[in-house]
Amino acid sequence: MAQGYSIFIGLLVIVVLSVAAWFLAPKSENQIIWRSSLILAFSCCYLMWAITFLAQLHPLIEPRRSDLRKEYLHS
Amino acid sequence: MAPGQDTMLRSAEMSMVQLYISNEIGREVATSLGELGLVAFRDLNSELSAFQRTFTQEIRRLDNVERQLRYFYTQIQKNDIPLRKFDVDNERLANPSTSEIDELAERCQTLEQRIFQLNDSYETLKKREVDLTEWRWVLREAGGFFDRAYDSVVEDIRTSTDNDDAPLLQDVEQHHTAADVERSFSGVNIGFVAGVIDRSRMAVFERSMWRSLRGNLFMNSSEIPEPLIDPATNDKVHKSVFVIFAHGREILAKIRKIAEALGANLYSVDENSDLRRDQVHEVNARLNDVQSVLRNTEQTLHAELAQISQALSAWMVLITKEKAVYDTLNNFSYDHSRRTLIAEGWAPTNDVNRIRATLQEVTNNAGLSVPSIINEIKTNKTPPTYIKTNKFTEAFQTIVNAYGTPTYSEFNPGIPTIVFFPFLFATMFGDIGHAIIMGLAALAMIYWEKPLKKVTFELFAMLYYGRYIALLMAVFSMFTGLMYNDIFSQSLTLWNSAWHWKVPDDYKEGQPLVAELNDSGYRYPFGLDWIWHGTENDLLFTNSYKMKLSIIFAYFHMTYSLILSYINARHFKKPIDIWGNFVPGMIFFQAIFGYLVGCIFYKWSVNWNDPTNPRQPPGLLNMLIFMFLQPGTLDIQFYPGQAGVQVFLLLLAVVQVPVLLFLKPFYLRWEHNKARAKGYRAIGERSRVSALDGDDEDGNGHAVGGRHSTESDGEGVAMLTQDLHGEEEHEEFEFSEHLIEQIIHTIEFCLNCVSHTASYLRLWALSLAHQQLSVVLWSMTLGPALGNTGVAGVIMLVFSFYLWFVLTIAILVLMEGTSAMLHSLRLSWVESFSKFAQFGGWPFTPFSFAATLEESEELKEFLC
Repeated sequence: MAQGYSIFIGLLVIVVLSVAAWFLAPKSENQIIWRSSLILAFSCCYLMWAITFLAQLHPLIEPRRSDLRKEYLHS
Repeated sequence: MAPGQDTMLRSAEMSMVQLYISNEIGREVATSLGELGLVAFRDLNSELSAFQRTFTQEIRRLDNVERQLRYFYTQIQKNDIPLRKFDVDNERLANPSTSEIDELAERCQTLEQRIFQLNDSYETLKKREVDLTEWRWVLREAGGFFDRAYDSVVEDIRTSTDNDDAPLLQDVEQHHTAADVERSFSGVNIGFVAGVIDRSRMAVFERSMWRSLRGNLFMNSSEIPEPLIDPATNDKVHKSVFVIFAHGREILAKIRKIAEALGANLYSVDENSDLRRDQVHEVNARLNDVQSVLRNTEQTLHAELAQISQALSAWMVLITKEKAVYDTLNNFSYDHSRRTLIAEGWAPTNDVNRIRATLQEVTNNAGLSVPSIINEIKTNKTPPTYIKTNKFTEAFQTIVNAYGTPTYSEFNPGIPTIVFFPFLFATMFGDIGHAIIMGLAALAMIYWEKPLKKVTFELFAMLYYGRYIALLMAVFSMFTGLMYNDIFSQSLTLWNSAWHWKVPDDYKEGQPLVAELNDSGYRYPFGLDWIWHGTENDLLFTNSYKMKLSIIFAYFHMTYSLILSYINARHFKKPIDIWGNFVPGMIFFQAIFGYLVGCIFYKWSVNWNDPTNPRQPPGLLNMLIFMFLQPGTLDIQFYPGQAGVQVFLLLLAVVQVPVLLFLKPFYLRWEHNKARAKGYRAIGERSRVSALDGDDEDGNGHAVGGRHSTESDGEGVAMLTQDLHGEEEHEEFEFSEHLIEQIIHTIEFCLNCVSHTASYLRLWALSLAHQQLSVVLWSMTLGPALGNTGVAGVIMLVFSFYLWFVLTIAILVLMEGTSAMLHSLRLSWVESFSKFAQFGGWPFTPFSFAATLEESEELKEFLC
């Protein structure tokens, strides 16, 4: 779980959701708003998640801190 | 062909309609169209002043009625009678006939007279009552003074009897009576003036008396304990009673004059105590009479006003509507010979049939044999922009309208705004906790939508208006909060961290620790790894992450906006805008910033610490700078063939600049010359009512007005009343103008590519500020309090929790939320809209009672 290839799984999920949004949008004069808003929202959220995930995929720096208690580390 | 459904994508299709209405039913037609609210009438009498118009008389009469109603309103307010307000949403008023309006006007007239009379007599009586009250006080106070004076005189005389120097005459009489003492005043010719004066003027009065009489007086004053009511203003005034004794008639006259000049009321008081007693009795009796009459008058007035207050709001609404109707009728052209009114206006094409049906109905109801006619006419005028909204999209569309009205039939910028505006807000406001607070507030406003609508407090009304925006902002903020892993500045540990601490065996607390990635390739699946929270270098990591996030969102948001400019160009059928603006602009943008974003993703996907192939990661910012400053040379090699790619991209971008500059103006000139050669005139020269179909493709000067070509539907070609062509002017083709315009556009576009991308760094800056601020707030209030135990700890915890909670809402949710919202607003307006929208339209403002009532400032106090 959550390996590097997850980024493509996520993409697939978003594509499926977007296609579903396209076809399931209620048919009315607001159809275009449903379609555009849902697909844009999915894309934005996916992009944000992908950026966050990719930024941590091959990190260049490691977390560092010196205020950890012994009990915490050995538990 | 029937036009397509009107959606929010573009302005609804508009038609110019012409109405022929018989003069008799003009008012009824205007009323029912006002109820319908679908036609924006043009002013066909613009050359006439307001006084020359047909229905000025009626409007003047209604103005008078309105003035009377306002008079009632002030009277009702003056008497503190509660006004029954009119509920526009739930109460309907039947459309009144002319005679009903006449009746109302007459009734108002009589009521006004009656109220006026009642008021008048009330005020007279009130004045009399105040006078009598003052007199009573004067009698009481001055009388008290006289009694005291009498006692002291008696005392004086008693002491004087022992004195040898006392006059002999008085010495004879050993027993004084009160009457003797009183006579003694008049005997020495001392007069006095008594009256009432405003307490605040007392000091001035006293001083001026002293000065003008050179101290030659004896003054006594006392304050009236209860406030008196000034009949003119109905205010409470504190007053004092004064009695001044002086010697000599002239001096007394002078005192009177000064007193009257200073606004004092003088009253006669008799020296004689018996007479004074009679006076008091008389005053009291008269006061009682006046008061009982006064009470009766007041009751009648109150009853009358209370009755009016029940109906006043409804009357006001009626009169306002009636005035709006006549104002509209004044825009119609009146044909005296045929006794018809001719109206012209814009209406949504899809609703023309509804308007027709309404007209039919009104005509039938009136039983008129002359039919009312409605025609659609073709015109080369730019129609108004009318974007249909619902209660969800309304606020989003307002964001767009606050910036400008979209050009007729161009892509409505409101559509992408629905998502981008709240999402960009959320990237700056990413905190689950704050988002939940905001979301609950938004949900509450949506749940209690109806009752909260009536709240008139302005700040709340604004918040309420944007409740759906707030809801979306909160939902997206929850998502970005999950991504940033921030909840009230704390972190959520939802999954296992991808890191673990490398702990040496002899670990001592305080020793620096470094975390290590796992070997299995597992990465934190959703959001930022919680292990970063509270580390020494977490800012280093999140800054790099958020900066890149900003740039990537800048790239996608602006690319999306640029594509919309392609959609617009295609819609207006202007291929030159595609080839001369969109394509070179897009290539320019992609060659620089598309490349940068590609490099960001590539850099993330490479394992720079791979033990088999360790490489040094390049700095992307330096790479971009070197790409411009020293094309062909590299700081650090990023990927093979990088130098060549960068030189190519740079050249590609540079080549787009002349294309952007010259293609469009030269194409336009070529097209213009070709049309001339074929014998066509400029558009203005062949302006004919119905000859406008297909002028879209000319791409000539007045590009803004490009319309979706509407199919002819038989009755389209109609006669025109007046100045249909008058207002719109067509310019001659001017090559230099087009060239200059395009040069400006090119420079602006190229510079904006850079500055707008940089502008998105505000996403990073604001989210950093927000997160740091909430960390500081936590560590100053609730954080340390959690460590305490015992009773003091509990008290401190409760106290610091409230402090923390209040500050969280006030600073982090409200203040920071506002600031993030303003930044997001700017990103929508400037960075996005400038890429594709023209904003050359004018808004559709139909004649509608609902809008009239809502917008009217004067009606505010009558509606609820």
